[in-house]
Amino acid sequence: MPSSTTERGAGPGTEVVERLTAEWAEPPTLRGWFSTVDHKRIGRRYLVTAAVFFGFAGFSALAMRTQLAGPEAEILSPGEYNQLFSMHGTAMIFLFSTPMLFGFGNFLVPLMVGARDMAFPRLNAFGYWVFLFAGLFMWASVPAGAAPNGGWFAYVPLTDERHTPGLHLDVYTLGLLFLGISTSAGAINFIVTSLKLRAPGMSLNRVPVFVWAIVATSFMVIFALPVLNLDNALLFLDRRFDTRFFDTDRGGNVLLWQHLFWIFGHPDVYIIVMPALGIVSAVLPVFCRRGIVAYPLIVLSVVAIAIISFGVWVHHMFATGLPQLSYGFFSAASTIITIPSGLQIFAWLATMLLGRIVVRVPFLFVVGFIVTFVIGGFTGVMFALTAFDQQTTDSYFVVAHFHYVLFGGAVFPILAAIYYWLPKISGRMYSERLGRYAFWLIFVGMNLTFFPMHVSGLLGMPRRVYTYPGGLGWDPWNLLATVGAYVLGLGLLLVAVGVVHALRRGAPAPDDPWGGDSLEWATSSPPKPYNFPVLPRVHSLHPVWDPRTAESTGPGATEDRILTDGRQTLFTSELDGRYERAVRMPEETLKPLVAAIGLLTVFVGLLFAWYWVAAAGGALFAGTLAGWLWPAHRTPEEAGVPA
Amino acid sequence: MTERLSPRAATFGGLLLWFAVLGGVLSWTVHALAAWSIDELTCEAGHDELAGFPLTGAIALAVLLPAAGAVAALGVSVLAWRRTRADLPEGGEQSVGRAHLLAFVGLWLNTLALAMIVLGGVAALVLSPCQR
Amino acid sequence: MTERGEGILTAATRPTGLATEEPVGRSTGWWGVMLFLTTEGTLFAALFGSYFYLRFQHGAPWPPDGIRQPELLLPLIMTAVLVPSSLPVLWAEAGIRQGRRWQLRAGLFGTLVMGGTFLGLQGVEYSGILREYTFTTNVYGSLFYAITTFHGSHVAVGLLMVCWLLVASLHGSFGPHRYERVRIVAYYWHFVDAVWVAILFTVYLSPRL
Repeated sequence: MPSSTTERGAGPGTEVVERLTAEWAEPPTLRGWFSTVDHKRIGRRYLVTAAVFFGFAGFSALAMRTQLAGPEAEILSPGEYNQLFSMHGTAMIFLFSTPMLFGFGNFLVPLMVGARDMAFPRLNAFGYWVFLFAGLFMWASVPAGAAPNGGWFAYVPLTDERHTPGLHLDVYTLGLLFLGISTSAGAINFIVTSLKLRAPGMSLNRVPVFVWAIVATSFMVIFALPVLNLDNALLFLDRRFDTRFFDTDRGGNVLLWQHLFWIFGHPDVYIIVMPALGIVSAVLPVFCRRGIVAYPLIVLSVVAIAIISFGVWVHHMFATGLPQLSYGFFSAASTIITIPSGLQIFAWLATMLLGRIVVRVPFLFVVGFIVTFVIGGFTGVMFALTAFDQQTTDSYFVVAHFHYVLFGGAVFPILAAIYYWLPKISGRMYSERLGRYAFWLIFVGMNLTFFPMHVSGLLGMPRRVYTYPGGLGWDPWNLLATVGAYVLGLGLLLVAVGVVHALRRGAPAPDDPWGGDSLEWATSSPPKPYNFPVLPRVHSLHPVWDPRTAESTGPGATEDRILTDGRQTLFTSELDGRYERAVRMPEETLKPLVAAIGLLTVFVGLLFAWYWVAAAGGALFAGTLAGWLWPAHRTPEEAGVPA
Repeated sequence: MTERLSPRAATFGGLLLWFAVLGGVLSWTVHALAAWSIDELTCEAGHDELAGFPLTGAIALAVLLPAAGAVAALGVSVLAWRRTRADLPEGGEQSVGRAHLLAFVGLWLNTLALAMIVLGGVAALVLSPCQR
Repeated sequence: MTERGEGILTAATRPTGLATEEPVGRSTGWWGVMLFLTTEGTLFAALFGSYFYLRFQHGAPWPPDGIRQPELLLPLIMTAVLVPSSLPVLWAEAGIRQGRRWQLRAGLFGTLVMGGTFLGLQGVEYSGILREYTFTTNVYGSLFYAITTFHGSHVAVGLLMVCWLLVASLHGSFGPHRYERVRIVAYYWHFVDAVWVAILFTVYLSPRL
């Protein structure tokens, strides 16, 4: 600690607030809109953009369900159907789930750890623009009739140039490579923010579970995403430049695609679900009016899942004819990983049991999550039995399973999070009545859509068929699922209506409408550009319930945590959160946008084989980066050079 | 806590805690990669021995050595967990509380890792290596 | 010092020893580059894993289709050029820590020359091998060119970064208090060197095993 501990600062008086506002506020101009580096604005954009992509992917699903309502329907052609289910899966996984959860992370992580922004604010802006452009790049292929059509995992040899000519799979490989840049940058940013920018006193045992979850997710991204990137790069090279990685006539091997894809793909299931579990651990205890039960076990569970999920990929390939013993090694991991997953469920149940439950809309969605996720987990355990897996693989049973896991495990928590943090994000309260209608429509619709798929799958209906003959016993189950899909769509529409209603007509939200325990509730709703007038000092796992933290931001606050000279935030030590030093944060800039445009040019150039355009885009990107990171000129004295 | 340690001992202690946290899962990683790739690649090539060494023996080594590593990490994590239990009350030394949490996480991570290695070993006992 | 007369192990396993913060006091830039290199390293690891997977799934002979074993002389010369090129970077970094700007510039220039020589030698190597097989010949050719080109492009990016640093250092931006960018580029350069050693083993030496 610097010597100023004993000096009494001014506290957050009006003069301090004015100076902070002058430093941190961004001009309300068009240029300011494009050049912002504020994590809250970027986080909001992530949320809105991902929600729009969710809408696109949802409409794709409705179109498919309409086609499947009865046998032999001809609303969609087989080719259109292939593109729709491929884009539905790809977009839900890559363009909705992860960016949506990263959006919450972007908005909440700096607030929850008590910082004024992310560790790399400009990288954060860059990540958003890349995500936006990659999403548009992929969705633009749908009206062009050139959308990916090989399923979301795009197995070769189906997806090689010979069997799927055209741009379809090039959009897939390039789009995912492009998007991967955004996801990796976001992951690095989350980890570094959580390691270095935590409020003083927030040692690792006082970090909110949501932040643990985001950090664990980010580590999974760091290790899993490069494998997907490699896979896509190899497929692109095979398709475009006739390399032979997956060409069995020239010594290549098609199983390499599957191995690489699932080394990424299984961790990716947790990359999607883990932050959502973090949301549940943040929301649920607040509506049980107590702290979460078994915090150390939940931290263990988060870390264990992040690691073990890398050792289970072969369980997606139990039908590919590998030696039984190699299945054995992966079955072991697939079975053990259920222990940490189960731990969290029991911790939440215990929290509800020991708490005093207050039922509000976010809590309803959390309960909806627990019910559906447990069903999805149960069918998941069934797949760990190799013999069962081989019977049901590629049937609608699998479709039912992963929709219970992903809709239950990601969409329900995301909806809970929307209602829970909307007051903080927008400063407005939502309509409780509208929210409850939405919940019941979604809960009933979701189960009505996906439960019948278990049955049609067991009756032998394969996934990804664009239509089916009548009289196989599948008709009633498909009709039920289609009715469910429309009910579900109506419920989701009501959520959107609820959000718009809150923004337009909602009552002003108090700073802490729920009595939450983490630091985002210690600041105003919506938070000011500088987040906290005084960076709080943390003494326990529940800082907002801790009078010592409130005291630390009161009139006795010390100058070393107010920092009004320029945009500043604090570095603290990695594990124990000891005060290290104040650091400058960057100003707003257009460079991230320009760099992202450069990358967009690269990928468009590669897609259409305009390689000179791609090279020009690369030059724009490199040049912008060179200017972005250019060191400020310093006199020899400033730089510390001896005369 | 006023005792002071030499920088070397302190660094060693800090790293030892990380071994207690991650030693087990690192052992498991080695086990999974080694056992799987030995089995898969040798069988694929149509052998049942690896450079003159019986395949079952090689897989046994790929089970037993990592298991020993996981047991060692488990031992250290139990020790660290017990040693850091002393002053947990709120407001105490935050590093000790933090180390206690990490040791606890390590303790269970090591147990899970050991369980996975042992289950893999059981599979190796039951199944013949190249059976499909 | 409490551990006088007792082993370092005993001291380290005291509560204060176990509760020592490690790692500690790093900057965000350091963490950022380390995580970036971790994800890059995973990418290369997956690439090498794919090499061995494809090789063993392919079976003997490797290289297939009558392609000769890779020549070793030129790659060893390339190794002798690239691996020591980490030394001038280290020397440059040590110089700026002491405030010797000339040493920073000279060291960066040395790295630039050595890295450029490496890329030139790679071009010489390609011009010979391309006559024998290309990346479309078979999976071996695809792997050889993909791995070496991917690494070569990393060397090229590293050289661009060194050029950029050199220009900035001529501009006079660095000193003992301000040299984090030098360190970050140095880490990247060491990483590129280390990857080359792995390539030497994977692509050039392992087919002879």
